[in-house]
Amino acid sequence: MIEIIVKALAYSSCIALGASSITIIYMATRTFNFAHASFIAWGFYVVFSLYSIFGGSPYLYLAFAALFSGMLGIFIYLTVNRRLLRARSSEIVLMMSTLGLDLILFAFINIYADFLTAVYGLHARYFVLELKDLTIDIGMFSIRAVGVIAPVIMVLIVIALNIFLTKTKFGIAMRASIENPNLAGMIGINPELVYMSSWLIGGLLAGLSGGLLSMVITGYPAVGMTTIVSFFAGSIVGGLYSIFGSLLGGLLIGLSEYMGIYFLSMAFGGEILAYRPIIPLIIMAITLLIYPKGLAGISLYRLKTLIWRGGGK
Amino acid sequence: MIEVPPIVLNILINFAIGLIVTISLNLEVGYAGIPQFGRVLAVLTGAMVAGAIPGRILALIMNQPSGADYAYHLINYRLVEEINRVLASNPMLSISIFIATLILAACIGGLVGYVTAYPAIRLKEAYLGITLLAFGDALQVVAWNYQPIVGATQGVLVPDPFRFIGVGELRFLTATLVMLGIALMIFLYAERISRSPFGRVLKAMRDSEVAAKVYGKDIPKVRAQALIIGSSLAAVGGALWAFYSGSMKAVAYGRLVWTFWPWAYMMLGGTGNNLGVLVGVFIFSTVRTLIYSYKGILTSIIPIDPNWLEYILVGLTIVVIVMFRPQGIMPEKPALTLPKKKIEEIGGVKSSIEK
Repeated sequence: MIEIIVKALAYSSCIALGASSITIIYMATRTFNFAHASFIAWGFYVVFSLYSIFGGSPYLYLAFAALFSGMLGIFIYLTVNRRLLRARSSEIVLMMSTLGLDLILFAFINIYADFLTAVYGLHARYFVLELKDLTIDIGMFSIRAVGVIAPVIMVLIVIALNIFLTKTKFGIAMRASIENPNLAGMIGINPELVYMSSWLIGGLLAGLSGGLLSMVITGYPAVGMTTIVSFFAGSIVGGLYSIFGSLLGGLLIGLSEYMGIYFLSMAFGGEILAYRPIIPLIIMAITLLIYPKGLAGISLYRLKTLIWRGGGK
Repeated sequence: MIEVPPIVLNILINFAIGLIVTISLNLEVGYAGIPQFGRVLAVLTGAMVAGAIPGRILALIMNQPSGADYAYHLINYRLVEEINRVLASNPMLSISIFIATLILAACIGGLVGYVTAYPAIRLKEAYLGITLLAFGDALQVVAWNYQPIVGATQGVLVPDPFRFIGVGELRFLTATLVMLGIALMIFLYAERISRSPFGRVLKAMRDSEVAAKVYGKDIPKVRAQALIIGSSLAAVGGALWAFYSGSMKAVAYGRLVWTFWPWAYMMLGGTGNNLGVLVGVFIFSTVRTLIYSYKGILTSIIPIDPNWLEYILVGLTIVVIVMFRPQGIMPEKPALTLPKKKIEEIGGVKSSIEK
């Protein structure tokens, strides 16, 4: 049981980080980032290849994974996204452009995996880094370190993002630009710098999430494509317009995926395990049909008054 | 007998199926402006109808297992061979089963479209696109794991309505030509829709929902209708592909091939222009089939696996089109109004126009 909880915590922290990456990019540039799948997969492969070549602990290379995806984000912004934003393309066009980029990046991951196999003789098409994880002994339990490290990193990121967005000048400028680009432009905030930094931050978070996720699930080139639905669901359940909403949504999706299927398999037997990918989809569909703008669309004020009135007075 | 090289047949069949699916996508995206990222949902529905129903009906007639057992692969493989033997000696039965299945696929596809209209009326843009994508993925997971419908991971064989022609090249040639004919019929149908009052309402809704509402158009109803028509066409495409390939496995119906590639075809040809879509599908299906067929030669020239070349090609096309020619090869033409004389005839408002 404790193992399941630890794994669920690690997994959902990764989903939360990734979901916040999608949300940040969407908020700033209106681009719903399909290339996220490849960001995640590249996170896997950066950690895996550096670890296999240089040894040590996989955690040492998390920063490289984040940096690499961050660079990918900036590259996408400079080559494709900037031009489309200047042309005021529609949301669907922006979405499609990232889909095209995702297919290209996906091809490069495969080529890179083939390269690793051919040159270094690694099993790069299918690898399990989970076994290389450290273990922590707490009393009589011994748990994998990722169950502690992933949530801790997520909390640190939340704090850092909060400080960045509310206390630093650039963070405030970024929020202003997201809320009202025209007005922010009038007082001298460069919107293009804001767009670029959102792609950078989004890429960093996605790479970090992918690197951490490589310690939780098996790695293969299409890993981004299969897990992306959970990230999308986390981001959309969170409301797409709130970074903290997306972190919350990602946690909800990740936990319900892992814990939900655990309880369901206890009730209905092991056959149901195969239906795990449907859980985030169902949660997303239900959330959207009740709150078409996601969890962040729930007005806290209204909720409070509702509870207040429901309380009797 | 005429000899047709297999590569031409491959191009033609990929073109026919691609055309049906992309035309249906264009109806929803190009005309109605719905971000349909779940095209695979309707296609998979059609394929599941073809995989699950005609065989069961024939098995029932032949007093063979037709319930959940039918989809169990050890029974299914033997049973469908027997069914095919019956079909081989009975052309009328084959043709009527073929047509009945297509009609059924269209009906059930339309039903699926009606279900997706529920979120499509309430949600917008990215929310809607991802919800539709989720629907498609969910159905694939079910089809891939729930054995009694279409045999889960083992898949099922699909009865072959072209068996009475033979089993070799001639069968594939006939099947390809029939499917090409159906694809062209669907193309003409979509063209007719785009020139009808309904097509103009769709475009009006896409361009300005508020303006269309002002003129008294029922937006939710029109959206639902577009989804129903589009989904039933896509389901026919899925059923045809299942009949052509003779087997139905859920893994072959992923969002990449049946949602994202049709999007690329459509964007290359010209969103909102059926003829453009036809050109786009033709270019893509030719290039893809050529890459697929000459894999061996390509591998000796370039050091990478040609599979990935295909992805790079599709991806690059999308990016380049989006950046430099968002309207596609053949941009959408403005709908011409009727000549003045005709309008006068219809409305009998000659005097008011002259004033």
